[in-house]
Amino acid sequence: MDIRLENVSHSYDSFEVMRDISLEIPHGRIVCIVGPSGCGKSTLLRFIGGLERPKQGRVLQVGTPPADCLNPLTYIFQDFALLPWRSVAGNISLVLEDHGIKGAAAKEIIDDVLARTKLTDFAKALPKQLSGGMKQRVAIARALAVNPAVMLMDEPLSALDSQTRELLMDDLVSLWTRTPFTAVYVTHNLAEAVRLGHSIVVLSRRPGQIREIVHLDTPLAERQFGDPELDRQQRHLWQLMRDEARAADAELLDV
Amino acid sequence: MSDTTLSHPPAAARTEARTVSFRGGGFAPERKRWVGGVVFVLLIAIAEWGTRAGWISALTLPKPSDVLQTLIDLHQSGLLYKHLSPSLSRLVVGAALGASFGIGVGVLIGLFSYVRAGLVPLVAAIFPIPKIALLPLFVIWFGIDEGSKYALIAFGTFTPTVVATYGAVDNVDRSLIRMGQSFGLSWLSIVRKIVLPGAMPGILSGLRISLAIAIILLVAAEMLGAEYGIGAYILEAGALYDLERLFAGVLILSVLGVVVSTVIGLVERHLLDWRS
Amino acid sequence: MMTLNRRKALILMGGAAAASTLAAPALASNKKITVGALRFTSHSGSFVAYERDYFAQAGLDVEFKFFQAAQPMAVAIASGDVDYAVTAVSGGLISLAQKGAIKVIGGALSEEKGIDGQKILASDAAYQAGLTSPAGLDGKTFGISTAGSSFHYMGSKIAGAEGANVSFKPLQKVGAIIGALKSGQIDAWSIVPHIAKPLAGSGAVHIIGDVADYIPNYQVTTVFTSAKNAADERGMTEGFLNGYSKGVADYNAAMIAKSGGEDGVNQMVDLIHKYVYTDRPREKAAPSIINGTMRLNENAALNTASIQDQLSWFQSEGLVDADITLDTLVDASYVETIKA
Repeated sequence: MDIRLENVSHSYDSFEVMRDISLEIPHGRIVCIVGPSGCGKSTLLRFIGGLERPKQGRVLQVGTPPADCLNPLTYIFQDFALLPWRSVAGNISLVLEDHGIKGAAAKEIIDDVLARTKLTDFAKALPKQLSGGMKQRVAIARALAVNPAVMLMDEPLSALDSQTRELLMDDLVSLWTRTPFTAVYVTHNLAEAVRLGHSIVVLSRRPGQIREIVHLDTPLAERQFGDPELDRQQRHLWQLMRDEARAADAELLDV
Repeated sequence: MSDTTLSHPPAAARTEARTVSFRGGGFAPERKRWVGGVVFVLLIAIAEWGTRAGWISALTLPKPSDVLQTLIDLHQSGLLYKHLSPSLSRLVVGAALGASFGIGVGVLIGLFSYVRAGLVPLVAAIFPIPKIALLPLFVIWFGIDEGSKYALIAFGTFTPTVVATYGAVDNVDRSLIRMGQSFGLSWLSIVRKIVLPGAMPGILSGLRISLAIAIILLVAAEMLGAEYGIGAYILEAGALYDLERLFAGVLILSVLGVVVSTVIGLVERHLLDWRS
Repeated sequence: MMTLNRRKALILMGGAAAASTLAAPALASNKKITVGALRFTSHSGSFVAYERDYFAQAGLDVEFKFFQAAQPMAVAIASGDVDYAVTAVSGGLISLAQKGAIKVIGGALSEEKGIDGQKILASDAAYQAGLTSPAGLDGKTFGISTAGSSFHYMGSKIAGAEGANVSFKPLQKVGAIIGALKSGQIDAWSIVPHIAKPLAGSGAVHIIGDVADYIPNYQVTTVFTSAKNAADERGMTEGFLNGYSKGVADYNAAMIAKSGGEDGVNQMVDLIHKYVYTDRPREKAAPSIINGTMRLNENAALNTASIQDQLSWFQSEGLVDADITLDTLVDASYVETIKA
């Protein structure tokens, strides 16, 4: 299943947030969206996920999601959004219960996603006992449990320290390599973008417009720390963004 | 370890070396369990000494040992249970009614804007009414027997529970609700699995206050037409100016308050052990 | 509160409402005392003594302090805020006497054959169901203000005499008892005639008997003071009782013997109306005041036999300590005592 955005524009009252964005998110690819703060990256993600409606333009699902897909468009949040009163397994079971998956069937799925995210030993732990990186792995496991057609990742690593970030990026890469998934990955961190994105969409500052789409051909598994080609791409992205970011930073906050 | 990286300072500077004086600490409450007990014992000891020596007159304070004797007599004559059981049933029935209605209405206010717009002003209007003032009315509505007593306690616990509950629902982390929506959870599932457990800490701390109010109202409820009950016992002791019985009754109420608070503490520990 | 001297001038001028600045010569030793009172006709002795300057003649500068109920008045005497007061014997009063705070020093009102006394009432519902005389009280509810009150004593004595098992419902206030009786929440009650008669007249309740038939010579209310006044301030206490007794004598003469004829009654009603039923106009208050007429104890004579009976009842009910004696409660050295 693909996602297509057609001429999406949005404004809050007279405050224009984004202008005329058209974008294709092809099946089995990770599309990163980068841009200075306030450019509407997260808003765009909420449009794709159906949590918010754009003023103009359309968000389309192209094709039908696979039959075993419980929740085609599935989020992973920056703040993890785990229920603190449920255990790791309970948090995953939460999203299965409403689909009538209980008991042994649920256990099978939970065991599988926990194994894939290397959390098998922590099934009974409460969120308060987990580190930030582990919490985000639980959130990823939860997302995997509903077998999503598209994963919508809203700065998933921004709340984590840099070592944990590296480790989780490795985890995401190996997850994708085993079973490629479609994802829209919003971040302000260019290193994450060049590491995880098959294509990188650079948005301008407000009102957000597409400045450039960068395609990276190096397979995800081969992208290494300090790869000169990636560094070059990251520098290129930074050059695109630097002036935008500076201008955005100098703007008065008007919210 | 700094020695390995920094060169030694000149000798002249080294002669000035002094320990940095400590100026941190304090402002962090520590657990000192025994102090509370000591204060209690000390106050009782002073009262006992004063009443025995006579510099506290019998009109001012009863002898603590006489109060204790009164309690023992109450227990031995079985009268304690004759007074305690109707009071406890009034407390349990009244508070259960008030708290469950309160939680129900509070959740509805928290969830539906129309209910909120309609009921919040009403709750604000009935909150400050001294419920005791309505007692004669309750007697007409619900009868002089248990009905009016249940109603008074229920009414008194209802309003604070409502306010605490809708406040707690308002304070449930919205990002969790968005998460539920993003996974396509039904409205009912979101309420049952996210809103209610998320509001539980606020609801329980509201109950702490509501149940203390219920105990206060127990005495008021037993003003009208109660032959037995801790409240009736205290009021009778007051009318008879019998300080020993008065203090014995008040002591029973205090113990009741401590018990209720402990029970809620246990429930909190059980239900809310997910809190960090 | 106006001073006695001005009051005296006012009375000399015919009791007009207009304020006068004329001052009569001050009395030599006007000692300031506070007298506690309820706005009931049974407290008329004090009101008359005050209005007619009998207290002033005894060298006392009296200031009234009004209460809503007898119980706080007893506590006010114990705390020294009030010097003298009139109230029913209650468990609280006995308890305060036991603590050495107060003493009963005289009688104020007693039930007497031939003079309208306290009535036994039944609610309409209970009356229709057969409670037409106190003999039918078994299994009924009886309203009282608090345990150990005079209502409790009366109800218990009546029930005892009829061999009835009655459950007592404490309702704190007379108003609440009336409400409960009218709405049928309780079955029976006993109260002074000037409250009983209008209630019965409305048809919501029925008079089913007289308290006097069950408690002969019942000493309903007494004069009491702090134990300190009784023991150390004999002169002041005698002065108070003296003035008070003159007030009682005037009241009895005008209202019961009718020695002053219709005019005497009217004058007395005018006087009492300054204190009782002040919220009603004179013509509406007068019947209630006249209805409430009861013979007050001449010379504050005290029926110690009745007091002993009440004390014994409180003790038998376990409301007060069993080892309290009559002497703890009563200082009989001031007035004549009746021992039957």
